[in-house]
Amino acid sequence: MQAVGLQTYIWNNNIRSAVLLAGFPLLLVGMVFVLTLGMIWGGLLPSTGTPAGDIAFALRLLAGAAPAAIAVAAIWFAIAYVFNQSIVDMATGSRPVERTDQPELYNLLENLCISRGIKTPTIRIIESDGMNAFASGLHEGRFSITVTRGLLQSLDNNELEAVLAHELTHVINRDVRTMVIAAIFAGIITLMCQIIYRSVFFTGGGRGRGRGVWVFWVIAMAAAAIGSLLAVVIRMAISRSREFVADAGSVELTKNPDAMISALQKVSGHAHLDAPQSMRAMFLEEDDDGIFGLFATHPPVEKRIAALQQYGGGRIVEPAVAAPSFNQPGPVAAGLPGPWGADSETASPSAKPEQRSGPWG
Amino acid sequence: MSGTLEEMTLLILVLVVVAILAVMLVGTYNRLVALRQNANSAFADIDVQLKQRQDLVPNLVESVKGYAAHERGVFDEVTTARAAATSANGVEAKVAAENALTGALGRLMAVAEAYPDLKANQNFMQLQAELTDIENKLAAARRFFNNAVGEFNASVQRFPAVLFAAAMGFTARDFFDLGADRAAASVAPQVKF
Repeated sequence: MQAVGLQTYIWNNNIRSAVLLAGFPLLLVGMVFVLTLGMIWGGLLPSTGTPAGDIAFALRLLAGAAPAAIAVAAIWFAIAYVFNQSIVDMATGSRPVERTDQPELYNLLENLCISRGIKTPTIRIIESDGMNAFASGLHEGRFSITVTRGLLQSLDNNELEAVLAHELTHVINRDVRTMVIAAIFAGIITLMCQIIYRSVFFTGGGRGRGRGVWVFWVIAMAAAAIGSLLAVVIRMAISRSREFVADAGSVELTKNPDAMISALQKVSGHAHLDAPQSMRAMFLEEDDDGIFGLFATHPPVEKRIAALQQYGGGRIVEPAVAAPSFNQPGPVAAGLPGPWGADSETASPSAKPEQRSGPWG
Repeated sequence: MSGTLEEMTLLILVLVVVAILAVMLVGTYNRLVALRQNANSAFADIDVQLKQRQDLVPNLVESVKGYAAHERGVFDEVTTARAAATSANGVEAKVAAENALTGALGRLMAVAEAYPDLKANQNFMQLQAELTDIENKLAAARRFFNNAVGEFNASVQRFPAVLFAAAMGFTARDFFDLGADRAAASVAPQVKF
């Protein structure tokens, strides 16, 4: 059904995310199926002689392989579940702040939480000039919302409230969990592809191991290439739909589409924050690498603003005379905790994110 | 035997169609209920702000009275408008009463403009800031409400909801009208010297 307002727009995007998420198990199972078929046709597994018989045999093998794939995903998820917050803290250099340190920030957030009857998440701050924010935590009591110092300094209270509401919507919708699941599936698929590529490399494509083996390798390579591409595309598409929902949810909470629009305008182009790419999906905005379209975690800002105008009744307001933010420019802490300080160039995990096999995929 | 097989197929087909229709009906109905609830809670949000404004009025009047006790007319007007707003029921009556209160408050503030001592009064300044804040929140809540009502109305009028919405008690709702608002705001404030 077509969206006619904010609520229907949110529903549509939720359906979209669910369909996309369901695509992951399908993709995984599909890849295993193609690989089995490749093994049969490559002579690595006994063929029944007819194509129909081969497919039936592959399906029977699949029935055994699918539960194993799901079990791997479950174990992976359990690991991510336990270590999620510490990984996020380490990778971004964020630290929790007490209510006494940031009373007004907590007040803004608490008012939003009261209206939805949820526990106020912990607020964390990253001492960085980049303007960004993200939600983390996988279950009640562990949720937290992280903002950068640059964001606190540059946005006025209404815009800050809109950003907090955006992140709070991620919390309410359990988007972090969705994205962790997406990352794990994408990670498993990527891992499978890595194994295939390496096997090809080390065995030289199975040279001298009987005719027909190359058939398997060609099929396997094709499946790996298409599979890993699709995995990334699906994951990014989920991420983008969650961003649209969070923008809409922010309007729902604050009733102020204009503030969300102006916050996006301010943040756009200044959102740089060093972190592993798999974590960036949860950011308020990501505009580092300039890849738009299929491989972007976030929709382009113009599209987000257009959606806020169309469904949220937002208006683009000319930037008012810089409303003073309550946050005085604070001293940026020297020596950041964690091996990947927010200002360090290294940020090693982000170097080749697709090839990592950690719990974040 | 082939006849019964065809009958079976037909029966299954009919059942499937009926099941699909039932799911669609239930889904559409639930969507409409959710959207109506959405509009209701949006109106409740406006109500909260209206209530706060009503609570602010007596203090504001007292504060102005202290400096401009002879401006009887505008005090009476504000007090009457507040009483009407407090007792108004239903969206339409509420909109009318609150718009009258908005106009009266506008005139009260215009009167206050003429008294520099009053304008410098700490208490008055705080009340004025509070009023401005409430008015802003009110504007935001009203926009959200109108958005929610617009969405509900559009959903009621769309296919397939339009076939049964009216029969199930879903009828298009009134907006929190800005037209009346504009009329109230366009009445020139009576500034007495």
